Amino acid sequence: MEITMTLDCKGLSCPMPMMKLSKAMKGLNSGDVLEMLGTDPGTKSDLPHWCEKTGNELLSQEDLEGGVTRMLIKKK
Amino acid sequence: MSDKNEGSVLTQLFKTFFGKHWPVWVGGIVVGFLNVLLFAIKSPWGASGGINNWGENIFSSIGVFNLEHVTPTNLNLYGMLCLMIIAGSFIGALFSKEFALRIPPKGEMIKGLLGGVLMAIGATVGIGCTIGAFFSGVPALSGGAIIFTFGLMIGVIIALRYLMWEMEKFPKWSSGKSYTWFSASGKKGRGQIIIGWIMVIGVGVLAYSYTGSLQTMTWFVIIGTLFGLISQRSRFCIVKAFRDPLMTGESHGAVGVIAGLLVGLFGFTIIKYFGISVDGSSLRAREMTWVFSHFWAKAAIGGVIFGVGMTIAGGCAVGTLWRIGEGQFKLWLSGIGFLLMAPISKLFIVPFVDGLLPHNMKFKSFLPDYIGYGGSFALVAAILLFWYWFVKWNEKTGKFSAF
Repeated sequence: MEITMTLDCKGLSCPMPMMKLSKAMKGLNSGDVLEMLGTDPGTKSDLPHWCEKTGNELLSQEDLEGGVTRMLIKKK
Repeated sequence: MSDKNEGSVLTQLFKTFFGKHWPVWVGGIVVGFLNVLLFAIKSPWGASGGINNWGENIFSSIGVFNLEHVTPTNLNLYGMLCLMIIAGSFIGALFSKEFALRIPPKGEMIKGLLGGVLMAIGATVGIGCTIGAFFSGVPALSGGAIIFTFGLMIGVIIALRYLMWEMEKFPKWSSGKSYTWFSASGKKGRGQIIIGWIMVIGVGVLAYSYTGSLQTMTWFVIIGTLFGLISQRSRFCIVKAFRDPLMTGESHGAVGVIAGLLVGLFGFTIIKYFGISVDGSSLRAREMTWVFSHFWAKAAIGGVIFGVGMTIAGGCAVGTLWRIGEGQFKLWLSGIGFLLMAPISKLFIVPFVDGLLPHNMKFKSFLPDYIGYGGSFALVAAILLFWYWFVKWNEKTGKFSAF
């Protein structure tokens, strides 16, 4: 799978990760995949709600070393 | 046949609570219920008074501002309640292996500190924060609390516009070097769970230590811990309730807060109407509990300043406390800004504002005095219903969402 863009939100807390994600997704085309790296536990519950609302697809969510969560989102 | 990896019934129960986040509405209902219990025992939930107590103790210990008659935090109900919210959140974060010390980029740290300072000014001028003057004030049928709520909304709109401008013009403010320490992702993290159990035992011992001398404190310790734990697990945060519908359009944070307010509305109205737990004070004193002398201008000014502060900080009074417990350093700075500024604001800013405002801009307004208990209950319930309809409608249409 080709990742179109990586958004580094490590160290950021609510609301910055979701604000940055919303802005970044606006600049992508349909079918593009955004990789989001974050450390805020809140994003884990905010992101599925946001994807459900916007119609974008949460492809995967995995915990990496160092408290980082990697999320892949496909633009609708 | 059950899968061997599923573990015992108790392990499954533990995973139910700490395996993933709870829906916010579940958190809202439970904290709303605990708030009613707190009122039945003594008085409703509040946060800014407790944080102010911490600040006064610090200034008192270094001999600044002549604060000689400050109650030590271990004897101050609300000072301890706030402390236990941090402890409860710490326990929740440890059990779910979500604790980590998260150091954000410098710009975020500045915003955290500044947001805390603004929240302190808003809370002292407006007599209360998102908990005392909103989450408890609205169910307490206080007219000032409703004005404070509108003030919060205006403050959130102003600060959200600032954040979006900042993200557009100065993106480096919220990017740069960040650090995460003591995390326990993946299969690691048994240590966090062990520390969590040690904390639980510590809270139990602390609660028990008050049983002989100050039984009310025993319950404040237990309920404070539960407030922190539940808020951390459900991400219960009042700034989220006001901000997210206007930002991404999501409604679940607002629905959680509305659910908690509705539970509080039923419980508080019953306690006030029947004078439950009057305890020697007059029925009128019980009715006027959490009805502050801030209607209308004082509540409006305080609400706007608090709304700006909490949006910049990324955590309201309770949101700041439970995020401190899960290791968000930005919110540690908000807490420090809040506790240091609150006593200063009380001494120097509040008297100035009070001097400017005539009595008819800062009086106690108890709604049942004007429209009766039935009318007041219906009015608050109608506002909550409208808020619910608005966030759900806006979630579908995106009419008032920035993104």
